[in-house]
Amino acid sequence: MRKPIAWWGERALLVLISVVVLFPIAWMFLTAFKQPRDAYSLSLNFAPTLQNFVTVFSDPWNLGGMVLNSVVVATVTVAIAVPCASLAAYSFSRFRVRGRKFLFFLILSTQFIPAVVIVLPFFLMFRNLGLLDTRVALIIVNLAIVTPFVIWMIKGFIDAIPTDSEEAAMIDGASRLRVIKDIVLPMAAPGILTSSIFCFILTWNEFLFALILTRRDAVTLPVGLVSFRTERGDLWELMSAAGVMITVPIFVMAMLIQKHFTRGMTAGAVK
Amino acid sequence: MAEVRLVDIEKRYGTFLAVPKQSLTIQEGEFLVLLGPSGCGKTTTMRMIAGLEDITSGDLLIAGEKVNDKPPKDRDIAMVFQNYGLYPHMTVRQNIEYPLKLRGFDKVGRKNLVQETADKVELGALLDRRPSELSGGQRQRVALARAIVRTPKIFLMDEPLSNLDAKLRVTMRAELKHLHHELGVTTIYVTHDQMEAMTLASRVAVMREGRIVQLDTPKKIYAEPADLFVAGFIGSPSMNLIDGAVTGGKFRAEGIEVPVSLADHDGVVLGIRPEEIEIVEDASAPISGKLYALELTGDSTLVTLRAGKTSVCARGHADFEAPIDAPCHLTPKPGARFHLFNRESGQRLDG
Repeated sequence: MRKPIAWWGERALLVLISVVVLFPIAWMFLTAFKQPRDAYSLSLNFAPTLQNFVTVFSDPWNLGGMVLNSVVVATVTVAIAVPCASLAAYSFSRFRVRGRKFLFFLILSTQFIPAVVIVLPFFLMFRNLGLLDTRVALIIVNLAIVTPFVIWMIKGFIDAIPTDSEEAAMIDGASRLRVIKDIVLPMAAPGILTSSIFCFILTWNEFLFALILTRRDAVTLPVGLVSFRTERGDLWELMSAAGVMITVPIFVMAMLIQKHFTRGMTAGAVK
Repeated sequence: MAEVRLVDIEKRYGTFLAVPKQSLTIQEGEFLVLLGPSGCGKTTTMRMIAGLEDITSGDLLIAGEKVNDKPPKDRDIAMVFQNYGLYPHMTVRQNIEYPLKLRGFDKVGRKNLVQETADKVELGALLDRRPSELSGGQRQRVALARAIVRTPKIFLMDEPLSNLDAKLRVTMRAELKHLHHELGVTTIYVTHDQMEAMTLASRVAVMREGRIVQLDTPKKIYAEPADLFVAGFIGSPSMNLIDGAVTGGKFRAEGIEVPVSLADHDGVVLGIRPEEIEIVEDASAPISGKLYALELTGDSTLVTLRAGKTSVCARGHADFEAPIDAPCHLTPKPGARFHLFNRESGQRLDG
């Protein structure tokens, strides 16, 4: 049977979009394995090398320290933000407190403030506290950015859980906290996991605050990328290798989200 | 097992009065049904007893103890929800076991009780499945098993059968009745299905707009409905309610004239049940009109007659047949009961 024109049009559009989105990423991946002399050539015919990855981890670049910084900052941020946000989201979802809507709006409204407006006050505050160029400072800032977002996200998942099971558990003999632990968290788990990964990605990619608040000790990967712009010019092959280091964990997580997300969708059904 | 007492209980949401002040005592071991159309406050009343809804004012006593401010877990109750409220991430076994776990039963005791209960509701073979792998009726049984696995002071059931298909509902109804007989636990049951109420209840509380309009045994409620609302709500097919007036010792409306023992009165509604009317050939019968509809129900035929604005339904023989619009005559069976109500207030006028 002949496919209608719309079908072909749709496919063509999908391919076009994919190319536009994937082309820079593909180029980066290729460049990461090129030798410096091939970096500017468009040819696919080059001798691949792993030398770039060795170089970025050795002096003077020392990417290893940045990887550790990024991992610590993102992990600790998630570890604090997600439990707090889950409890907050549950409260917003279930308790009929006066002013609840306004409070929720207030929390979300922090997201409307452009980062550049608050980056300088943050710089001054952390300087006074002696926290400049520390992971602690980055974790605090990232918590402030990420937590409202995660509250909002998890609240959506908790809203979707029917209250029947919770009420049943309360009658069966569970306290409110026990209900959250035994019933709500397992049922919201796919959502919470998704939110965690989202939160991790946001923190992992955070650039502006890390750029302003760190200098040497607490530099994270995205900021580290900038150091490949040197007086000798832009070291594209090294920058690409570092870029791959940043991107791969995110790719893996995105894949994890997808898997868990579909599983969560099919397992939850009550009635 | 315990007595439940509601003393001047009231529930408001802001300015909206959901359940007006009233009292109700549910005796030990009783099967009390709260019956009424949706939105009549029966579920709210039950949720207050469960502790899922705050009580605005009044006292709630379970076994003589005031429990207004106790959380649900400390009231020693079990409840079956309309949507079952199962734990989808747990197996059937874990679902049934959960209340025991929370109340500190040891592992061996738990295992035995779960098995015993599951067998009682015929779930023994399904213990390792998840709720999503069960049919509606099976989920219903899991909810029931979870409620009866430990013996609470009271059972609360919120329309537990309304999500089942008609046939299963009848089977489960009998099982519930048997279970109550076996366990003897005080049970409060919410439904809008008058048939469920009639078959299950020791006593029925018919509710309307938050108020209990009649509280009595099913037999009494059927035989002597307190007002027009109850009269129209109980019975299937529902009672004939005929608008008319009483003059000279007779109730008169278009096409109908029957003797009643009531002084002259305007705005009277006569109630008579279809099963207490028979079809006759006699043209001088007290109810006459034209045949409007015939509905065969299997064991009988519902015959509806019309005369002007009056419409009367009678339960006749299954093999009764006549053409539509043919003249038709009905007469109350010997001993048939006439119910007379004031049309304005809805209250009973006799007895």
